[in-house]
Amino acid sequence: MRCDSALIRLDELRAGELPASEAKQVREHLATCRECDEDRETFDALATKLPSLRCESPTSCVEAVKELCSHGYDVVESDARAVRVAFSSRGITRVSPTGVSETKFRDEYRERFGRELEARELPAALRTEVEKALRGERLKKADVDIDELPEFEQKVLRKLLEIPPGEVRTYAWVARETGSPAAVRAVGNACARNPVPFVVPCHRVVPTSGGVGNYGFGEAMKRELLAGEGVDIATIESMSKRGFRYVASSTTGIYCFPTCRDAKRIREENRVLVRDERDAEAKGLRACLHCRPLKRSA
Amino acid sequence: MAPHADILALAVHRREDGAFELLVGQFEQQLFNYVYRLIQNVHDAQEVVQDTFLRAHKALTRQYDEPKCAALLVRPWLYRIARNLAMNKRRGLRAKIEQPLPPEEHVGFKPAVRPPTLLCSIETREELERLDRALATLPVEARELVFLRFIEEMSYADIAKTTGLGEAVLRGKVFRSLRQLRDTLASTEERSHAM
Repeated sequence: MRCDSALIRLDELRAGELPASEAKQVREHLATCRECDEDRETFDALATKLPSLRCESPTSCVEAVKELCSHGYDVVESDARAVRVAFSSRGITRVSPTGVSETKFRDEYRERFGRELEARELPAALRTEVEKALRGERLKKADVDIDELPEFEQKVLRKLLEIPPGEVRTYAWVARETGSPAAVRAVGNACARNPVPFVVPCHRVVPTSGGVGNYGFGEAMKRELLAGEGVDIATIESMSKRGFRYVASSTTGIYCFPTCRDAKRIREENRVLVRDERDAEAKGLRACLHCRPLKRSA
Repeated sequence: MAPHADILALAVHRREDGAFELLVGQFEQQLFNYVYRLIQNVHDAQEVVQDTFLRAHKALTRQYDEPKCAALLVRPWLYRIARNLAMNKRRGLRAKIEQPLPPEEHVGFKPAVRPPTLLCSIETREELERLDRALATLPVEARELVFLRFIEEMSYADIAKTTGLGEAVLRGKVFRSLRQLRDTLASTEERSHAM
């Protein structure tokens, strides 16, 4: 046997994992080759010392992992409706109307997020946020834990949080704002998959073509939520039926989404209806900096 | 120990009480050691270990069916997950640690996590620290193989499953890694004698 074939078998010889015939050959080689035998000695010495290098993790992650694998859930009620809220240590992970049975809620959660749910009390700060959201009040911050969703869905949901109560935006607007102006349908899908409705206001997104569009809990509920927040749905619908998407002020030359807080302040005599972005450009209007309506693409 | 761990996979799949905690408890330290050798940073290593268990839990409870869980060899499987996650983490930090640390940075290098050597003599402890430093300067593949074979004392079959390398290739690589460790150790000893 040659030196290199012997050398790569030293480790298994030490561990006694070598078949008898090979072991014999290696031993024979070692008996004749001093160099290899010395190598064997140093390697064996190393091999006996190395296991002492095992170290200990300074903290155990059993608790942390357990926490991450099972989330809590609780019920939050407001005057208008009651919802089940699931939460992790980082925030709200799921909101669902209590109309869905408890077992189904847990099964769906396991299916989608891979975690068990156990009944626990919702931390007070999160409870306040959910209650506010249910009343259609503006949230200063929303502690939602959506970090495990696909990146695009996260981007969309975080953008939705910027739409204040009483206003609506279009799917195309969200698409542009998230940096993917063509992904209008994808935004729709992301909204449809919103795990934390009410808190992340997916009901404040409507189709460019008019109407209020679809909603996971039915179009009627979407209308009810928007009306509750002070959106004048009838006016917007009559506008879009006549083909107008934006309103502008003849004094400032700025055009807005009709629900923009600035648009609501335009006086009746200065109010100009705008068909679309092209029309706005033709009229020499500039886009509002608050609601950032779409611009005509270059 | 080994058959016990493999039964655990099925227990986790069936959501038996406490099964997952047992699994975590049993492998936490091993995996931490492994990942720490790969990325040489305590906090990142802890994070990777935690994520490993999350992945494992998701896979066992959601993605794998019962026969698959029953047939699973848990140890190399967990190591494999940890390895993938550690490599992802390393990629994020690539500029910093792609190269083994230069020797001069190791003059003051203290292993962040001390091996439990309190009971042994000062000479042995110094010797082990030297060994630890030498290991830390090896390229990542060598560190990994030395760890798996000599510190964790895994079989070649399991190392093959963990790293995705063939067993025959492994024998050569493991030998060369150990030789590299010996040479590094010898050269640091020379330097310390020269001083």
